[in-house]
Amino acid sequence: MIQTHYLNVDIAQKRRLDDINLQLSPHDYLCIIGPNGAGKSTLLKTLMGIVPVNGGSILIADQPHEQLSQKQLARHLSYVAQSHQQHLDFTVADFIKMGRYPHHGVFSCWEAADQAAFDNALYLTDTETFLTRQIPTLSGGECQRVMIAAALCQQAPFLLLDEPTSFLDPRHQVEVHHLIQNLNQQHQIGIIEVTHDINHALQHSQHLLALKAGKVFWTGRSEDFLVSSALSSLYDQEFVLAKHPETGRDIALPSERVPLR
Amino acid sequence: MKSLHVLLLITLVSLIILFSTPHLGVLKHSSPDIASHILMQIRIPRVLLAFIVGAGLALCGLVFQSMFHNPLATPFTLGVASGASLGAALSVFFGLSFTFLGLDSTSLLAFIGALATISFVYGISRFGSGFSPEILLLTGVAVSFFFSSLILLTQYLSDMADSFQILRWLMGNLSIVGYHEVWHLLPIISLVIGLVFFFRRDLNLLTAGDEIALSRGVSVKRLRYVLFFSTSICIGAIVALCGPIGFVGMMVPHICRLLIGQDHCWLIPASCVFGGGFLIVCDSVARLALAPAEIPVGVITTLLGGPFFLWLLIRSRTHIS
Repeated sequence: MIQTHYLNVDIAQKRRLDDINLQLSPHDYLCIIGPNGAGKSTLLKTLMGIVPVNGGSILIADQPHEQLSQKQLARHLSYVAQSHQQHLDFTVADFIKMGRYPHHGVFSCWEAADQAAFDNALYLTDTETFLTRQIPTLSGGECQRVMIAAALCQQAPFLLLDEPTSFLDPRHQVEVHHLIQNLNQQHQIGIIEVTHDINHALQHSQHLLALKAGKVFWTGRSEDFLVSSALSSLYDQEFVLAKHPETGRDIALPSERVPLR
Repeated sequence: MKSLHVLLLITLVSLIILFSTPHLGVLKHSSPDIASHILMQIRIPRVLLAFIVGAGLALCGLVFQSMFHNPLATPFTLGVASGASLGAALSVFFGLSFTFLGLDSTSLLAFIGALATISFVYGISRFGSGFSPEILLLTGVAVSFFFSSLILLTQYLSDMADSFQILRWLMGNLSIVGYHEVWHLLPIISLVIGLVFFFRRDLNLLTAGDEIALSRGVSVKRLRYVLFFSTSICIGAIVALCGPIGFVGMMVPHICRLLIGQDHCWLIPASCVFGGGFLIVCDSVARLALAPAEIPVGVITTLLGGPFFLWLLIRSRTHIS
């Protein structure tokens, strides 16, 4: 369970998150959407303890966020950052194994439980075949799977993903979407995903949180979002709706008309 | 277990160096008593001192490079050496001579200078965006230049003898008599090596970047404080006793990375052992190259370090492009 209560975050004396109230039950799949600079990434980073809280509170599994050590936090949440990580000078195996950090003390050794978590992370992300390769030699799609594998190795009940498919081609986008879907449905991992892909968010996630200028703009079940017609005002951009030829679901496409001003 | 083999090899070579170098150089003395006295009271403590100082310098260099994701970050680039040098120069200039806890005034002032500089650099960098590597490095370089000119001023105002003594101190020195300095440095350096090894997993994650380290559960800020201050004290103590011996802390960790990879579990012991062996070799060259005259050891390490520095720059350039 993740709860935020009137969460405020300032970065460089500027309010980036303004009174965010959020509630996420275990096994839930929440997508965060909104225009650039709305505070989506900041919200993920705040939950992960990368950005400090300025006001309000966060509860993780009914414990106050500020009372959890970073290590304890990493046993509840894992995080896949947005930026390219392909400069990292590690082998894939070493990098994924480092995900076991929150379960280790100073003198502990690699144990059966660590190996099981490691093997499971490899199996889920289908990364066994490039274990011995260096991260800089991976393609974008492979690298993203390794980043997810390393986060899964933490065995945290919640996985936070910051635009996991933004830099990928359509095939690898679908691949990563399926992987996330699978983690949520088959393995009961709670997902919070920041995305610009509205149709993906509508189709796969259970709940949506739309942020605009640091405030909650809309929140609710994903299937109710298009009905509410909040989409155009969220992005200041007209959208048209069409039926997906395969699934018959509504999909939103940006209108060709110039943005509203 | 390739890393283990490399570490064992480095250790073996260093031990051979450690045990063989005291016997190098002629001991043509009629009396075996004098020869054994030279060996026991001069050669062996000197080699031991070179070993622990080399290990300490290499370790602190490794920690700074990993901590600040910057291949050129060493405690020396952050102004510790210049702070200590200024302390030593002032002590010579004012002709202070007292001892405290078995340390002479030059060492004490150098140690105080090193700690004051580190606190100052740290304090300045806190004003900006908090502990960012770029600000810390730039502050360190600026402070280094400032102190260097103060040292020049002190030298200018001193008489010939003092000026030479300051200059000699600035070149680094491992020639000691007896085990005094060894016993002073050994506890500090061993403690810091233990502490750094304690944080080996944290350092691995820190090299992957702050965000990844935090999301895996490393308390990045606390780790930086602890490592920054403990390595700075270690370096301050080394510089206070042996003067600024440059480039060991920058070169050795890089060579060890090439030999043994990125894992700090292997990198920490490898850097210590390699650094120790390396400084013994440099000191032996310094002692024997122009025998019976001695070249200051800092001259040898810097002579090796300059070209290495350039090679590193060219190498990282070609890596980027």
